[in-house]
Amino acid sequence: MSSVRKRALGAAVALVVGVVVAGCGGGAEEQQQGGEQTLKMWTFKKSHADALNKVAAQFKSETGITVSVEAVTPDDVFVSKVQSAAQTDGLPDVLEVHAGGEDLEMGASGLLQDLQGDVDATWKQRLLPTTQESGVMTQQRIDDAASDSPFKSTKAGQRFSVGFTAGAFGIVYANKDKLQAAGLDPNTPPKTWEEFLDALKATTGKDSQQGGLSLGLKVSQTGYNWVYQPLAHAYLGKDRFQALFAKGAAQGFASPDGVKTLDVFSRLTPYWMPGSTTLGIDEADIAFAQGKSAFDVGGTFTLAFLAQNGLTPDKVLTFPIPPSAEGVNKEISMSPLALTGLGVTATTKNRAAAVKWLDWLTSPKGAGAVAKESLDLPATDLGADAESLLGADLAALQKYFTGPPESAYDAADVSFFPSDYDQVKPGDLMVRLSPLQEVSPQQAGTELDKIMGSMWKATE
Amino acid sequence: MSSLALKDRPGRLRKEPSGGRSPRRWPGWLTGWAFVFPAVALFAVMGVYTIGSGLALSFAKWNGFTPTWNWAGVQNYLDLLYADPVLAPELRRAGWNTLQVMILAPLLTVAISLPLAVALNSIRRLRAVLRSVYFLPYVTTGVAIYFAWRYVLEPDGAINTLLRSLGLGTLAQPQGFLGNPDTALPTLILILVWSSVPVATLLYLSGLQAVDPNLFEAAQIDGAAPRHVLRRIIWPLQRPITAAIVLLGVRDTLHGFQIFLVMTRGGPGGHTDVLALMAYRLSFFKGLAQTLGLASALGWLLFAGAVLLTLVNARMLRRVH
Repeated sequence: MSSVRKRALGAAVALVVGVVVAGCGGGAEEQQQGGEQTLKMWTFKKSHADALNKVAAQFKSETGITVSVEAVTPDDVFVSKVQSAAQTDGLPDVLEVHAGGEDLEMGASGLLQDLQGDVDATWKQRLLPTTQESGVMTQQRIDDAASDSPFKSTKAGQRFSVGFTAGAFGIVYANKDKLQAAGLDPNTPPKTWEEFLDALKATTGKDSQQGGLSLGLKVSQTGYNWVYQPLAHAYLGKDRFQALFAKGAAQGFASPDGVKTLDVFSRLTPYWMPGSTTLGIDEADIAFAQGKSAFDVGGTFTLAFLAQNGLTPDKVLTFPIPPSAEGVNKEISMSPLALTGLGVTATTKNRAAAVKWLDWLTSPKGAGAVAKESLDLPATDLGADAESLLGADLAALQKYFTGPPESAYDAADVSFFPSDYDQVKPGDLMVRLSPLQEVSPQQAGTELDKIMGSMWKATE
Repeated sequence: MSSLALKDRPGRLRKEPSGGRSPRRWPGWLTGWAFVFPAVALFAVMGVYTIGSGLALSFAKWNGFTPTWNWAGVQNYLDLLYADPVLAPELRRAGWNTLQVMILAPLLTVAISLPLAVALNSIRRLRAVLRSVYFLPYVTTGVAIYFAWRYVLEPDGAINTLLRSLGLGTLAQPQGFLGNPDTALPTLILILVWSSVPVATLLYLSGLQAVDPNLFEAAQIDGAAPRHVLRRIIWPLQRPITAAIVLLGVRDTLHGFQIFLVMTRGGPGGHTDVLALMAYRLSFFKGLAQTLGLASALGWLLFAGAVLLTLVNARMLRRVH
C-alpha cells in the first residue's frame, strides 16, 4: 500500500472512530474532577438558573460540592431536551420541573428517582403545609390513570420531587395611577366581581385604549385557569364546581350552574386590553408595566417580574380574583401550591450529593438565599424571615393564602379532572367566549362538556 | 485499483507478502468502504432508522420518557381522522386552515413574482440594485422577522397608525391584525407571500433570461401588446418554473409551522391553527401526555398528502413538457 493510501485509510478510520466515539460519549461525562464532586442541574426558568448558580457558591463552600445550573427555555424546548437526553443517557443529576404533574409523569416514566426514603418528616415540616405532599404519587392518581399510563407502574407514596417554589394564580394587579385617574380609590381593592367590572368600566371609560385588562391570552388557558376557575369555584362552592368536570357530568358546563358561571366570566368582554389575544404571559405583564392596561392578572410570581420591568410594587394594588356577589362564597383565598419541584434523575452517579443539594435548597437557609436572588416565593416556610428575604410587598402577597376553608381555591387539587386533562382545549374555547364572542355561554357549556367527555374517554 | 495500474508498478508487487486473500485487493475496497461508511452510517441513522422509528411510533402511545411504547395499532390514525370527538374536529379545522394557506400563498406568490420578474427583466438601469432590494425579505426572513411583523401588526403598531394617519381608520384593526379572527389568517398568508416572493422572482428571472430574445422581437414585430407577450409567450414558457414554485410553496405550508408558532400560536381561539403546528403541539405541549404517537401519525398523514401533491405536480410537469 502506498504511503498516501495508508494515510488516507488511516485518516478515514480515524474519522469513523472519532464520529463513533463522539456519538457514544456524553452520557458518561465525568462527574468528578480530581476528586471534587460536580453536579449538573437543568431548569426551565432563566431567573432560577441565575439565582441557583449564585447560591451554588455558598453550597460549595459548605459542602465542597460544585453545582452547575443550566436554563433550558422555553418549556417546550425543555421537554424536548429532556426527552432526547432520556433516550441518550445524557440527563443531568438534578431537574427542576413543574410540580403537580410533570414531576410525577417523569418519575413514573423512570426518569426521576423515588425520594420517599430521603424526605422524612423533619424535611417535610420545613415546607408550607400545602406543598408538603407535592411530588408524591397518590393511589387516586394511579386509579384514575388510563390502563396504559406509566402511572400504573408506580406505587402510592413514591415521591418524585420536593417542592421548590410555591405561589398562587389568579392575583390581580391594578395600576394605582390609573385607578386614581378614573376616580377610584387606589388603596381599596374591589370586594366583588361586580365591583371589579365597575372599576374596569371606569378605567376604560377614562382611557379606552389603555384602561383595560391585560392577560396573555395567546396562551389561551390563562383566562380559563387564572380567572374562570377561581371565579366559578367561588360562585358555585367546591362541590358544585368540581361537579362541572365530572365523568358523564349531569351537572356539567351546559347545566344551569355551568352556563351561569360562563356568563359571569363573559362579562369581562368589553374590558380586555386591545390585542390581548396576541400576547403571551410575559408580554401581557410587560404591557401592564408599560401602562398599556389598568389591570393585569397573573400569579404571586408576577410582582417580581413587574418590578424588573419598571413597575415598582408601591405603584400597584393587588387582590385575588374577587368572588361574585351572586355566588355562594363571598370571600376568596388562594391556597399556595408548589409551582416547581426538584427531582434527582435516575441516571445520576452522584445520588448522595444530589440529595444533599435538594436538602440544602429546601432548607430555610438555601430557600431564603434563592428567594432573595430570584424574588420568587419558595415552597419552604421562611417564617419570620420572609419579609426580610423577599421584601415587604412580595411577602405581603402571602396574606391571600389564608381565609375561611370553604373560600380557599386550591389549584393543586386535580383529583376531579380526567388523568390526561389538557387545559389548552377548554382554554381555546374560553377565548372564543370572551373576548372573541364567537360562542354564547350556552354553546360554550355544550362544547366544554364534549371536551371533558373526550378526555374522560381517553382514560378508559 | 485497476489491473493496469498494478501492471505498471511491478516493483511494488514483489515487495508485498503473498498467500491467503490477496493483500493487493484489501486496501482498495477497505479504503473505499472507510470513506463511504460515514455517509452510509449517517443515512442509516438519520434517514432509515428515524423514518422507520417514526413510522413505528405512529402506531404507538408514548410520552417520550418511558423506555417502552404502548402499541395502539391504527387507533392513532382513526382518532385523528374521526374517532376522537375532540382531536378529529381539531384536525379538520387545522386542515381547512392549512388548505387555505396551501392554495393562497403559492398562488399569490406567483401572481406577484412573475410580473415583478418581467418588470425587472425589462429594465436596464438599477436592475442589480432592485434585485438586491427585492431579495432582502429572503435574506432577513426567519424567527426575528416574525417578531418584527408582530410589532408592526399590533393594535398600536405601524400599520394601524399609518391607516389612521391616512384617514383610513375604518380599515384599522382595534384588536390588531393578528387579534381579529377574520384578519389573522389572511395576514399570516400575506407575510408568507412576502417572504417567498424573492426566491420565486429570482427563479422567474433566471427562466426569463433563458428565453430566446428572438421570440419577444417576433412578437413585437407582429404587434403583440405586452399583456399578450406575457400571456402567450412568457407564461407558457415559465410553466415548469411556476410548477416548481407552487410545489415549493405547498411543501412549505404543509411542513412549516414557525410563523404560526411565533406569531399567533394558533390563536386567536384556534383560528390560525395548521396541521404542522398541531403536530408540534401534540409532541411538546401536551403536558407529557402520551401523544407522541399521535404527532407521528399526523406527520405521516402530512407525508401522504405531500406525496400525493408531488404526484399531481409530476403529472402537471409531464403535461407541460
